[in-house]
Parts: sequence; C-alpha cells; structure tokens
Amino acid sequence: MSANSATAVPPYTENDPQVVQELTERFGEHAFTRQATRTGMPVLWVGRDRLIEVLRALRDLPRPYVMLYDLHAMDERLRTHRDGLPAADYTVFYHLLSIERNSDVMIKVALNEADLNLPTATGIWPNANWYEREVWDLYGITFTGHPHLTRMLMPSTWEGHPLRKDYHARATEFDPFSLTAAKQDLEQEALRFKPEDWGMKRQGKNEDYMFLNLGPNHPSAHGAFRIILQLDGEEIVDCVPEIGYHHRGAEKMAERQSWHSYIPYTDRIDYLGGVMNNLPYVLSVEKLAGITVPERVEVIRVMLAEFFRITSHLLFLGTYIQDVGAMTPVFFTFTDRQRAYDVIEGITGFRLHPAWFRIGGVAHDLPRGWEKPVRDFIKWLPKRLNEYQKAAMDNSILRGRTVGVSKYTTAEALEWGVTGAGLRATGLDFDLRKTRPYSGYQNFDFEIPLAANGDAYDRCIVRIEEMRQSLRIIEQCLNNMPEGAYKADHPLTTPPPKDRTLQHIETLITHFLQVSWGPVMPANESFQMIEATKGINSYYLTSDGSTMSYRTRIRTPSFAHLQQIPAVIRGSMVPDLIAYLGSIDFVMADVDR
Amino acid sequence: MQYKLTRVNPDRANPDADNERYPIGERQTVPDPMEEQVHRSIYMGKLEEVLHSAVNWGRKNSLWPYNFGLSCCYVEMTTAFTAPHDIARFGAEVIRASPRQADFMVIAGTCFIKMAPVIQRLYEQMLEPKWVISMGSCANSGGMYDIYSVVQGVDKFLPVDVYVPGCPPRPEAFLQGLQLLQDSIGKERRPLSWVVGDQGVYRPEMPSQKELRREERIQVTNLRSPDEL
Ligand code: SF4
Repeated sequence: MSANSATAVPPYTENDPQVVQELTERFGEHAFTRQATRTGMPVLWVGRDRLIEVLRALRDLPRPYVMLYDLHAMDERLRTHRDGLPAADYTVFYHLLSIERNSDVMIKVALNEADLNLPTATGIWPNANWYEREVWDLYGITFTGHPHLTRMLMPSTWEGHPLRKDYHARATEFDPFSLTAAKQDLEQEALRFKPEDWGMKRQGKNEDYMFLNLGPNHPSAHGAFRIILQLDGEEIVDCVPEIGYHHRGAEKMAERQSWHSYIPYTDRIDYLGGVMNNLPYVLSVEKLAGITVPERVEVIRVMLAEFFRITSHLLFLGTYIQDVGAMTPVFFTFTDRQRAYDVIEGITGFRLHPAWFRIGGVAHDLPRGWEKPVRDFIKWLPKRLNEYQKAAMDNSILRGRTVGVSKYTTAEALEWGVTGAGLRATGLDFDLRKTRPYSGYQNFDFEIPLAANGDAYDRCIVRIEEMRQSLRIIEQCLNNMPEGAYKADHPLTTPPPKDRTLQHIETLITHFLQVSWGPVMPANESFQMIEATKGINSYYLTSDGSTMSYRTRIRTPSFAHLQQIPAVIRGSMVPDLIAYLGSIDFVMADVDR
Repeated sequence: MQYKLTRVNPDRANPDADNERYPIGERQTVPDPMEEQVHRSIYMGKLEEVLHSAVNWGRKNSLWPYNFGLSCCYVEMTTAFTAPHDIARFGAEVIRASPRQADFMVIAGTCFIKMAPVIQRLYEQMLEPKWVISMGSCANSGGMYDIYSVVQGVDKFLPVDVYVPGCPPRPEAFLQGLQLLQDSIGKERRPLSWVVGDQGVYRPEMPSQKELRREERIQVTNLRSPDEL
C-alpha cells in the first residue's frame, strides 16, 4: 500500500492537469467530457459502461487516488444552466482524493430516468458501501453488485426518495404526524434485527451467538445511534452500525432557503462546531460569487473557528474519559467550556449556534474590549490541560483500557475515508490547514500534532495537543488582529453594508432585494473543504443562477468514521467498543445531517 | 385553578384499541378536585390535602432525569448537569440510564419520524408518576426543521408538561423549566394508592410564562449595545 510511504504531502495542486492527461492517454480523448467549474478540481463526465474501468484506473495509478472522499448524486431534471454537459436526468458523482498528489478529481456519470442503475464501486473502495446505500435511499438509484442495498437514513417502512426534485420538502405538506398503537407495533417490528438479512449466522461450529442491541438510545452511543453486536461471549464477532435516527434533511433544506438564510442550518450539522460549520459554506458561496474577503474577516473567522475546535475537543475529552470510567474530568472540562463560551457569547451573542459568519464577512465587528476575555482564556486553559494530562491520560487504568485498543493503520484509515484526528493518530501528517490552507491559515505559526499507533489512546492525545496549538493560533490572532472592514466590498456581500443604502435609491433597492429575496449567485459549481473539529467537512454547491441553491452536498467526517466501525472492532471485547466509540468523537448530526 | 384530568382505564373495552392515537387516555378540564372534597367533609378534605402535599413535596424535590438526548439541545442540557450550573441544587442530579428508574424525560432535541416509535417505547417503559419536558424549538414544534423527516413537535404523541423555548435554550432556561415542573408537581393530585378513591390524574393548568411576564418585559426600552463587552 503506497499511501503509507507518503510521509511528506506535496503542496496542493488546484485543477490538477496531470491526472486529466493520464486519463486521456489511457482512455482516449472521447471517453470524457470536461466540465469547467469553480470546485478547484477537474470534473470529468464518463459513460456508464466505462465507469468502473476509469475508477479502477484512478485507484491503481502510480500515486493513486486512495480515498473515495465522497459519492453522491444530483437530480438534474429541473436544472436550466447545463451548457455543454451530457444529457442527464440524474448524475452520480465520485469525488476522489490522492494524498501523494495532494489533489482531487471528480468523476460524474449521467443517468436516464428510465434506467437508474450503476455498477457498484464497493469492490474498489470499501467505503462506497454506505454512500451508495444513501444514494439509493434518497434518490432511488440502484447499484448492481452492492452487498446490501437497503434504506439507511429513512425508516425501512418509508416510501419515496426525498432528495428527488418532485418529492415534497416540508413536513407541513404531508398529513400531520400521528402515532397509533397499530403503527407503533408495526414500526417496532420493522426495527427488529434479523441476522439472516445481513448474512450472519446464529450459530458457529461450537457456539451460539448472542445478538445484542446497543442503542438507538444508549448513554455511551453519544446520541441516536444504534449498533447491533454479534457476540461470542464477550467477544464481538461482527457488528452492524445503523444510522438515520438523526436525519434532519439538511441537504433538502438548502434547496428552499436563500443562500443567506441557510447559514443557521450549517451550524447544526456538527452541532459542537458552531461557526466552524459556517466556514466551508460561506467560503464555498464566496467562490461562486467571486468575493475576496478583507484580512480582518479571515483572522476573525480563524479565531472563532479555533475557539470552537477547543470547546468541541473539551467536550470530547470529558465524555471520552467518562466512557472509560472516570467521573470527574467531565465536570472540569465543562467548566472550561463555560469560560470559552464567555468569549464566544461576548463576541457573537450566542453560545452553541451563533450563525455568525456572513457571505463576504462576519455579522458584526469585534466589540470593544474583546481582547481581555480572550487573553484570560489563553492563560487559563494550558494549566488545565496539563492537569488532565497528569490526572487522566497518565492514569494506568485509562491507559490499560485504551492503549492498543481499536487500532488501525494509515492505509486502513484512508480506504475508509477517515480524516481528522483519527487519521493523524496513525502518523499521517494530513491537516488541511497546512496541506491546503484556506482562510489565511498559511499566515499562522502552528504545528500539526501526530501520533504513531492509531489506537484509542493516541486519538485522544492528538486532540489534547491540538487544543494547545489552537491556543497558539488564537494568541496570534489576538496579537495581530488587522484593522479594516468586517465585510467585503462586493455587490453580493449579504447583508450589504448598511450605510450606503441611506445615500441613494439604487443601493437601497439592491439592499432591499438582497435581504428579502436574497442574493442571486451565478450559475456554477463550487466546493470548499476545511479541517473541522471532527475531520474534513465540505460543501459542494451547485447554483442554477437563482436565490437558492440547486443542490448542496454536505460531506461530513463522522459518516465515514462510523462506517469503519465493524472493520476495526471485529474480534475485540465489548468494553473496547465503548472506548472506541468515545475515541471517534462523533455527533449524530454530523453523520445523518 | 383549572385542572386537567387524565384517565387511562385499562378495563374499559375498546373495540378500536389498535387505532387509538397516542397519547392514550381521556382528557378533560375540570375545577380543582380538592375544593369539592373540602366542601363534602372538611376533615377528610384537609387530611387528603396534607397527604397530597407531603407526597408532592417528596416527588418534586427528588426528580430523577432519564439520560436521553437527541441532538444539539442535549449539549445544553448536559451543561446544566455539570459544575457551573449544578442541577443538584434542585435535587435532579441522579441521572438514570434506564427509563425504569427515571421520573422524567427531557426531549432535548429534534424528534425524528424514525425515532418517534423508539421515544414512545422508552416513555412507556418509565413508571408512573412520570413527566415530560420538551426542550428546544425542535421538540416544541419542529422549530426550524419543517422537513420531511421531522415530527412537528413531540406533543404529537407524548403528553408534555413543560415547554422550554430556545434553539437551544440556555442551561439556565432548562433549569427554569425544571423549576416550573416542580411547581406544577406541587399542585398535582394523583391517586394516593391504587385502592384509595379516584384513580384519575389531575394536573394543574399552569399559567403561561409569556403572559405572566409580558408586563415586566415590555418595560425594557434600552438594550445593551453589542459594540462593547
Ligand atoms: S431546537 Fe435548535 S438547538 Fe435544539 S435540537 Fe433543534 S436545532 Fe438543535
């Protein structure tokens, strides 16, 4: 596996011409249609008959595309701006990532409504499994050869495919929800786990297996997550994670909110990440609009995003230690979080979901006197982190329960699409803030913490160290906050600067339209990924030249992390699973959206 | 004060039990049942009142919450359980991981259609007396998620005692909701035993906080400027 040898990641190549050349050399000029976009990567359309061949080639190239970063679909039937694109009712796209090239490529396939079928890619990347299931669930596109193509986000009793354009978005367009005793029985029956459906045996040669249902509500499952364990005594023979208990339809929601009014929904994707979630969205919209923001905006954004990295990691730390048996640290880390919220609330006016970034800027300038609470916090936290290190991380019980538990290698992590601390704990130095800097991260001086073993203990150590680095970044923001405007001077900045509207009627009208209907984004596609609290989070936006997004694809890290669970935990004990779940650091909103 | 009377009569033969909607039981609004008692016999009435108050005092000051969370609001709920907010001041710190040991359930987060039957099952597993706090806009009404996969308010199938507004409500708001629940429990009339008297559950219809506080709130004319910390 060549990815392991990729110790140094090269600088990022935007719109990598090399892979296009390699592909055309191999398959000929006519195999592909090139689409020009603002996604920062080559987008190539290929015929369905050659799809698997092309994907396989990309996986096997020298310096291969090791990671299936994302796979999803789009309903093209109502799209008006499609000049030069192959005719399609639906498209399925494959977003591939190469570590050794540090570049991406996107492959798209056009599908006709009458024949919504594709060969599966699970043979090339194992993590295609869940993505294809989701596409089937939400679009009704089938994948031949898929091992288990069933509903995933919606209940198994559901009818219809919600992301299709002709499916209603609002709950209030349907009959009001009601639950009768009969329906309750029916739904409960549908939730019953049948091992045979998953090709699992009830008996081994000498033993009977026990099937244990953990969740959808279990204190150590961290939210509405269900996992069914096949046990031989205490040992986990196999398991089936089941998600979808937290599907809020965020992607569909984007299709009926203006570009501006969708910002609060992004906060609630990784609900511990706060404004960190706004960042990939607004950056991506700014790419569509062609806005460059002032330096002050970049620094303010970085500072607040790092604050949320710290609050999220603190919550992780407390609950993780609690999961492996220590009660007290969670009380301390929440006290620290409270201190961080004093700063966040002072600046943004809200705690968990400030929705504070705007297209082309931030909502408000920093208030006078913001420096002191920030400085207090920077002084406060390092001592506490040292304490946690000494009291909890060096504790022999905690080490005993986590060192060597749920280990995986870099190669395994990449083939499951794992990113974030879970990837860096295996030793791969891949952090987007360094490898593909955005929002001015290249101007900061900080390090990327790494570990070597890739076990539950290392994942935690990496995150503790990341908090220290975040503090460093915040301190640099504090000492070098640039002067200037907090909004870009651009016609699509939303809401537009107020003072000008009071001067002449033209700007007043534009202002009025922009805050009532919202800005109109030029038709195109754009993409932005960031290093979020839990891994790589990205927004892939398609605009059809309207006030609303035509398609918003949100790729979240936790989805990939949960899919990897069975591969890691087979053969371990039940308590190891609990330590493992704690060490993944996921929230269900970040999985099901 | 008006009371809401709930009767769940398991003996009553219902030919259409399968199609009965949750929450199950008959509900009606009635005047304070105690007053009637007192009019009938001062002595028995007072005795019963003292007994009710004693039981209610015990109940409201040792509420054990069920450890149940759905989404973002749960984070603020757990914040209320930790040191800076310290829910132990209100006797509600004994978080139970099993519904069978819990007194009340906080629906903290979005109620999903896929999750609704599970919530219903967990609620049924709690033993009487039990209460429900709906925390956050999502649980109250669906909130900002008027979308195909979300139930527009958990009261579509659960009987809710207190609604806490906010997205998410601050931990302080949750604590206030808890105190309101305690006030309401203090005025409840439940059967003192399965053989004594009326078997209906009488819950007080508490006044809306929004109306109670309107006067005070509209007095505020100067808001703090956001330009200064
Ligand atoms: S009310 Fe708001 S904070 Fe609470 S669960 Fe719903 S979206 Fe999240």
